Amino acid sequence: MKIVTMLKDVVRSLVKRPFTRPYPREKQPAPERLRGKLHYNPEKCTGCCLCSMECPANALELITLDKKEKRFVMRYHLDRCTYCAQCVQNCRFGCLEMSPAEWELAAASKEPFTIYYGNEEDVATVLAKHTGTDAEPPG
Amino acid sequence: MHTNEHTQKAETFIVPIGPQHPALREPGHFEFTIEGEIVTAASVRLGYAHRGIEKGTESRNWVQNLYMLERICGICSHIHATAYCLGVEQLAGVEAPPRAQAIREMVAELERTHSHLLWLGEAAHEAGFETLFMYAWRDRETVMDILEALTGNRVNYSANLLGGVKYDVTGEQASKIEQGLDYLEERTRHYLDVVTSDPVFIQRTRGIGVMTAVQADRLGVVGPTARASGVVRDVRVEAPYAAYTAFPITPVLAQAGDLEARFVVRLRELFESYGVIRRILANLPPGELVLKRMPRRIKAGEAISRVEAPRGELFYFIRSNGSDTPDRVKVRTPTLCNMASVLTLTVGRHLADVPMILVGIDPCFSCNDRGLVLKRGADHEHWTWDRLRQIGLDYYAGERGSGGVGGTSISPAPLPPCPPALLTGMHV
Repeated sequence: MKIVTMLKDVVRSLVKRPFTRPYPREKQPAPERLRGKLHYNPEKCTGCCLCSMECPANALELITLDKKEKRFVMRYHLDRCTYCAQCVQNCRFGCLEMSPAEWELAAASKEPFTIYYGNEEDVATVLAKHTGTDAEPPG
Repeated sequence: MHTNEHTQKAETFIVPIGPQHPALREPGHFEFTIEGEIVTAASVRLGYAHRGIEKGTESRNWVQNLYMLERICGICSHIHATAYCLGVEQLAGVEAPPRAQAIREMVAELERTHSHLLWLGEAAHEAGFETLFMYAWRDRETVMDILEALTGNRVNYSANLLGGVKYDVTGEQASKIEQGLDYLEERTRHYLDVVTSDPVFIQRTRGIGVMTAVQADRLGVVGPTARASGVVRDVRVEAPYAAYTAFPITPVLAQAGDLEARFVVRLRELFESYGVIRRILANLPPGELVLKRMPRRIKAGEAISRVEAPRGELFYFIRSNGSDTPDRVKVRTPTLCNMASVLTLTVGRHLADVPMILVGIDPCFSCNDRGLVLKRGADHEHWTWDRLRQIGLDYYAGERGSGGVGGTSISPAPLPPCPPALLTGMHV
């Protein structure tokens, strides 16, 4: 029977650098498949709404301004998103992708968590329409 | 009050633990009747972390539910998603491609590795062996990194889809996984040596919480807890699912039935997992990752899906009425099956052994907390969903000062007692 079975581990650790990483001073590159912030490109979008329909967190709202002219605005709620990438899977036209680089998403206020994607003009139209009535869901 | 009366009458003392307690990481209420240092009776009350997930599934579509059910457990998330996917695929009459099934099995075994290493640390911490705790968790990071590289997340991997999986294994990843497994294998061998030879640690585990095979069978325990008592109970072997027919595992058994056996079984199971992951990587079937067409509406019917979670058998019952949302999803997690053994095994032991016996089943409280409605014929205590909702509305209306809406007699304070028909879990 041994006396102290983990003594070797402990002694060896005395001369080693700490195992923990000195984040945020040193940043490790995130894995390629990391699911970070969602990006939407309206160019190829057909407005089928499969992304928002199957979003488990109701984090996506696809606002159709003109389906024929293909004017879509995506309202993306970063704080509700569960980063499951089901929307990316659902999109047959490759309009959606999750960025592996953007994952430090904390903010001190609520505003940065609602993101509008689309042409500048269209976003402005949507914002003008929703000013004051853009009710956040309870909770 | 109850405690005082009891003390005077029988000279015993009841130690209540929880639901909020610094030593418990999750809420659960235990009452241990002790005489001196020896536990003479034990009871448990569960249900404090009830989240209404089963009811929630009825208002979400089949795809949305996948992600909600995955969040039942933060440790064994993938196996919940797998159980659900297999059940829904069974209902829809489709089967995921072989490559997807193999990847499902591989992620499940990686998850088992992470879960068992986490448990090893947790159990060592409970025994006061902090060194083992820290090193086990350090090495667990290896498998967490593998999972993150493979699926894009450390915890809720979201690797499953209805009808397949999202992510493939690339050649570069396969070699990284191999490297990680080599390191983990070496470390697991070391930990197995530690838990079976450290004299101080053995004092906390050897001969403690002994459960015989007969007892294990009678109490209906599952998973490594049962296998440590020599009972072969492993869904991967009894009813192979996913790719377990093509890549089988050998169940790991121990006969002693004590805490040490539970350590040995879980650690030896890791070698099985490493072996099967290597076999899958070497012989990954070619083909698609996901079915071309998965119906949005699932045919009406009922399905039962059983899988082996790291803690034991996980059971899913899914009923569809033909729409795009499930009619009923019932989940039974392994902790509920194993909880009865804690109450039996702690009796006659020192109070100080109780945390170790509890941690020996690898409990996960919030996973097992489900609502349970007992219907006894014309039971007046059967509260319907509408009635519960009305009571809730009335309660809060009363609290705001308007009071007594709808003519119910429920006053805002004190809280109405929990009707026996709604008791969750068990009360032994």
